[in-house]
Amino acid sequence: MTSTTRGVGLAALEVAVPDVEIVAAGPDDSVDGTPVSFVASPTSTAEVAAVLRAAVEHDLSVVARGAGTKLTWGAPPARADLLVDLFGMDRVVEHSAGDLIVHVEAGLQLAALQQVLEPDGQRLAIDPVTGSRRLGTVGGLIATGASGPLRLASGGVRDLLIGVTFVRADGVVAKAGGKVVKNVAGYDIGKLLTGSFGTLGIITEAVFRLNPVPAASRWVTMSAGDATTVGEVVQTVIHSQVVPSALELDRRPDGTAEVGVLIEGIVDGVDGRVQGLERLLGAGESSDAPPPWWGHAPWSAGDTVLRLTTEIAGLPKLLDALDDATSGLSRRPAVRGSAGVGLLHASLPSDDSAAVAEAVTSLRHQSTRWSGDVVVLDAPGAVKRAVDVWGPVRGLDLMRRVKDQFDPHHRLAPGRFVVGV
Amino acid sequence: MSEHPPVSMAPGTAVDASTATHGDRGPKRIATPPPGEPAFDERNPPSAALVGDCVHCGFCLPTCPTYVLWGEEMDSPRGRIYLMGAGLEGEPMTPSMVQHFDACLGCMACVTACPSGVQYDKLIESTRAQVERRFDRPTRDSALRNAIFALFPYPKRLRAMRGPLRLYQRTGLPKLLRGRNGKRGPLERLSPTLAAMESLAPPLDKPVAIPARTPAHGRRRGTVGMLLGCVQREFFPGVNAATARVLSAEGFEVLAPTSQGCCGALSMHNGREEEAQRFARALIDEFARANGGAGVDYVVVNSAGCGSSMKEYADLLAADPVYAGKAKEFTSRVRDVAEILVEKGPVAKRHRLPVTVAYHDACHLGHAQGIRNQPRELLRGIPGVELQEIPEKDICCGSAGIWNILNPEPARELGDRKARNVLSTGAELLVTANPGCLMQTASSISALGGSIALAHTVEVLDASIRGLSPADLGVPAAAASGTAAGAPPATESRGR
Amino acid sequence: MTVDHQLRTGSATGTETQAPDQPGPDRSAVIAELARTLKSKLGADKVIDDHARLRTYECDGLAQYKVTPALAVLPEDAPGVQTVVRACNAAGVPFVARGSGTGLSGGALPHAEGVLIVTSRMRSITEIDRANQRAVVDPGVINLHVTQQAMPEGYYYAPDPSSQQVCSIGGNLAENSGGAHCLKYGFTVNHVTGAELVAPDGEIVKLGGKAVEPTGYDLLGVVVGSEGTLGVATKVTLRLVRLPESVRTLLAAFPSPDEAGAATSAIIGAGVIPAAIEMMDALAIEAAEAAVQCGYPEGAGAVLVIELDGPSAEVEQQFAEVERHCRDNDAFEIRIAADNAERALFWKGRKSAFAAVGRISPDYIVQDGVIPRTALPEVLRRISELASNSGVRVANVFHAGDGNLHPLVLFDDSHPGEAEKAEEVSGAILDLCIASGGSITGEHGVGSDKAKYMPRMFTDDDLDTMQMVRCAFDPKGLSNPGKVFPTPRLCGEVPGRRKGVHPLQAAGLADQF
Repeated sequence: MTSTTRGVGLAALEVAVPDVEIVAAGPDDSVDGTPVSFVASPTSTAEVAAVLRAAVEHDLSVVARGAGTKLTWGAPPARADLLVDLFGMDRVVEHSAGDLIVHVEAGLQLAALQQVLEPDGQRLAIDPVTGSRRLGTVGGLIATGASGPLRLASGGVRDLLIGVTFVRADGVVAKAGGKVVKNVAGYDIGKLLTGSFGTLGIITEAVFRLNPVPAASRWVTMSAGDATTVGEVVQTVIHSQVVPSALELDRRPDGTAEVGVLIEGIVDGVDGRVQGLERLLGAGESSDAPPPWWGHAPWSAGDTVLRLTTEIAGLPKLLDALDDATSGLSRRPAVRGSAGVGLLHASLPSDDSAAVAEAVTSLRHQSTRWSGDVVVLDAPGAVKRAVDVWGPVRGLDLMRRVKDQFDPHHRLAPGRFVVGV
Repeated sequence: MSEHPPVSMAPGTAVDASTATHGDRGPKRIATPPPGEPAFDERNPPSAALVGDCVHCGFCLPTCPTYVLWGEEMDSPRGRIYLMGAGLEGEPMTPSMVQHFDACLGCMACVTACPSGVQYDKLIESTRAQVERRFDRPTRDSALRNAIFALFPYPKRLRAMRGPLRLYQRTGLPKLLRGRNGKRGPLERLSPTLAAMESLAPPLDKPVAIPARTPAHGRRRGTVGMLLGCVQREFFPGVNAATARVLSAEGFEVLAPTSQGCCGALSMHNGREEEAQRFARALIDEFARANGGAGVDYVVVNSAGCGSSMKEYADLLAADPVYAGKAKEFTSRVRDVAEILVEKGPVAKRHRLPVTVAYHDACHLGHAQGIRNQPRELLRGIPGVELQEIPEKDICCGSAGIWNILNPEPARELGDRKARNVLSTGAELLVTANPGCLMQTASSISALGGSIALAHTVEVLDASIRGLSPADLGVPAAAASGTAAGAPPATESRGR
Repeated sequence: MTVDHQLRTGSATGTETQAPDQPGPDRSAVIAELARTLKSKLGADKVIDDHARLRTYECDGLAQYKVTPALAVLPEDAPGVQTVVRACNAAGVPFVARGSGTGLSGGALPHAEGVLIVTSRMRSITEIDRANQRAVVDPGVINLHVTQQAMPEGYYYAPDPSSQQVCSIGGNLAENSGGAHCLKYGFTVNHVTGAELVAPDGEIVKLGGKAVEPTGYDLLGVVVGSEGTLGVATKVTLRLVRLPESVRTLLAAFPSPDEAGAATSAIIGAGVIPAAIEMMDALAIEAAEAAVQCGYPEGAGAVLVIELDGPSAEVEQQFAEVERHCRDNDAFEIRIAADNAERALFWKGRKSAFAAVGRISPDYIVQDGVIPRTALPEVLRRISELASNSGVRVANVFHAGDGNLHPLVLFDDSHPGEAEKAEEVSGAILDLCIASGGSITGEHGVGSDKAKYMPRMFTDDDLDTMQMVRCAFDPKGLSNPGKVFPTPRLCGEVPGRRKGVHPLQAAGLADQF
């Protein structure tokens, strides 16, 4: 691996940012196949800013990395000269239990955060569905806008993030929001950064609102048969008075499907609601433990991962269209996700990238029928090359203008996010 | 020409901050007004202090019928108060300003809605008096107004119209001129004003004479004077007859002097202050003479508009050295018929009357007098009556005294809106306490192709006390067995 | 330039009235031409250029700030709004959107040389979509009407600002309105899943829809709460919430706000998140009694209105817990609403409180600040010190559950100097909020009123960053200029912009982010 990129040597960077550890990239440091030259490991917002200023000075493109669990999501960046590794920024700056808020650094792993909150009976109500390793950091969570089953009751990252500090492409530190749950002073830049895949700034600190951990949790599961039945079950549950915390669908490649409902609250209340739900559905099994598939990604390494959204009642149409579009693939898709929200993931076999591309295109053509989007969240390079990863985007012109304001030289993860027309 | 110009303002000078409507912390850039003398003179202008009570919160907007229709600030109570404030600052009384004062129905829904207690009723009354006195109306407009005020407050003149009107109603001509099945007819295209007057005229019953004295039934609980009203007396004689019977059944001796005139409500609500004062003095004297000069314990009114203005006599005559005291005393004795019946409690037995009723709050009963619970309580007290609430019940039906004649098109829109809301309840009988509301809503219901029986609260009570059936109130027999007959064809499939 | 300067030059603390610098002859001609154009395109009845009529649009709910708009236009649909915005662009004339005109930060304060776009005629509820738990509405639709329409389907619209009976959804979107129940249910931004927006350049953009998480940047998330500076919403898709199985409301009277604050902390600390916890102090209670005769317990130094909703069993148990915490913290009277009428009466006192203060004081400032809930007792004591030291009366009404304070600073403008003193106290309260780690506004917005306080909460870099979004949406600065930011950013200046063609652009990748 060369230690110079675009004529910049490691030594020059070390001079520019003497307090931050910067090393030449190792073989594991690529970003979705795009080679990296240097890896900086700042330990504070000020250090991240210094690194970014050095990147400006030496005209390096920059990609932020947390645990690296979602680094292959989206399109591969066109260039990734400098990797800013935030794993060392893992402090809990403040946990004010009485105010139900927590202020953390971006490199803190979500699992570690939950451990900190647990003694106070609190949680950050985000349980992102990712791959097998549950190591993701708070920064990566925000940058990808990942969510999981709890999204139904508690909302997504955008709904729980109340303050954010980040470093702009020009190395300037900026913040928005604050540490109070209610606050409308100024634009909510935190929302803009949520799901922006590191293309607008490098998130260094975040403040979240927290929820009390409920006293009791029970899961009710039932098999749901075809898409129409799934749709009916979902409608029954959402219009009921069960008030589920989560309503998930697991549809396997063999065509069998299961719907799972999480009910949380006080012990007596949960029991009553579980019974009520079973009566309502005329079926179902309840358990104190989640079904084995609950909250786990439906994909394995090498699969093509689709993120699918739909209006709630459009789910059966989406499922049928997905079956239809993927009928030529070597395996039926697995679908899992928040049926009560209309946000799901599907995994497709990647062996025939042209066929996958065709399936994705076909789905996108029909997607107005369920008012949703089809995104290729992750896939092998061959598939990503064969298909527009992000698909059509509404408001693209405004998005480009936002990007040009925040990062006029497209220094941050260039090419990773939605593509210009 | 004003005799007492308040603040003079040369164009281009800043508005005097001390006269502005609200607190004056913030930045201000107020456009220069057009030239002209200030809108109000010193003779009872709208009170700057009352204008200042408005904090501009806007809670009145959704209850204001004209705002509901047009969605414009200047046709909302908040906007009108703002215009009054501008007038007090010295802005001239332009035709546009007057237009928005004129457009107010005077329903006083805003007074009910206002959390700051702004006395809009007083403000608009002072403003209207100023407008009538100081603004030159276009000839056509003022001719219509004069015609109305030469007719309505005079029962004898109204009576003279009965003959031709009954004749006209029997000819079949109305069917030709009016539209059918929701379509508007030729008359409306020719003259909306005439069409409004025509369609509002109720089918005329035979006149019923109310005895000058009706004795109390059973133990006498008091002597009440009864206002006969102008429109009520001539067009809804049945209501007066029922009022007298119910009061008598409930233990009141009822005196109804036939020589009584108009209460002055229409004049008062349209800025014709002197005319209103004249009517008021006469009526006070009339009831003072009653009972052989002993007067009455209460003056009972069955028309909401009349009752609300009679409760304002004290203010109307406050500056009158002779009548100020009498007016105050008189006002304290005025009661709406529902009010006194609930106040004194029921005596007469109520018989079963199986009917679904939609009760409509007349603005001048609900908003102006705050009488909402009493009529409902009376209706609920009748075995068999099922009471339905009408959606958007706080919004005026568009009748508003003579407003529907002066503003036929918007009045029709409001009437239609009310009619649809009434029909949506599926009720068989529409009950309200004001003749104007009954005429207005009935006209819209029939124009929409629906039908519903109509009655005054006291007529329902009368029917129950006398053991009559819903059919006696005009409810079709089939309807009385539980079918919603009132729905227009389009909504007939609606579940009950 | 078209950038508005007048609001920044006018100090809101002073009482000086600005010279009525009317549009100069050149601007007058531009406005007259614009009026002609809009009348011919939209119809004369949609365009207001009469002096008296325009004056009624001078202020919104913050009536101390008054600017007569040059024109007011009442379009009836999105193409109508687009026509106005395009015409404004062509003429270089600023525009300000207004819904029901109930905002309390002067967010809809008109521009003296600009057009006021009034959405009060765009008031259709297009759709109540039960199956998808959404409503699609026009921007002028009144907040409460959405709930009224959805209720027969078993649903309601959760954000409930105190002005919900009159405020519009478009205004709610612009201000990211909250309300008493946002403690549990969140704010407007959590309940808007889609919006059609006429962007400041006149393009109609559709953001989101009935599904969540549209692809790309969360532009909707930043448009909500941008106070009309990023465009005019012409259609809004709202999330509807299932009506709860059970609602229980309790009114607890305490000797002073200290005990009420402690009870609030105890409840939340116990892991109970009520739908709402509202506090009123003695002065606010006095005003509410005068206005709506809500019959709160006599002699209360503070009352809490606490509402729990959800599944019956949960509500019952939590209600008992709430009651216990109130008693443990010296509540001397607890009333439980027996029926909807009583519940409505509890709320009536609270919801009418702002306007009701007009009954006990000729003038007052409605302040809106946020503090961390745990700082409540301390901050309330400091406010009371401020009040007694300055001789200014302060009534407190607030959303205790989320630390959103609404101190009402009372004064009589007819007494010289009182307004200034009130303004001083009001500003000092905001400083208290900032010092405790809070915010200068929890739900009323920055608007015209608080732009000057923004630098106390944010650095120049923070504000500059926010304005990058502004520049992306509205490079000409025509959409509601002068609001939110104390100093406009000139969009042409990009910090540190390099000269020459960037290598990425040369590589053909400039279109990628």
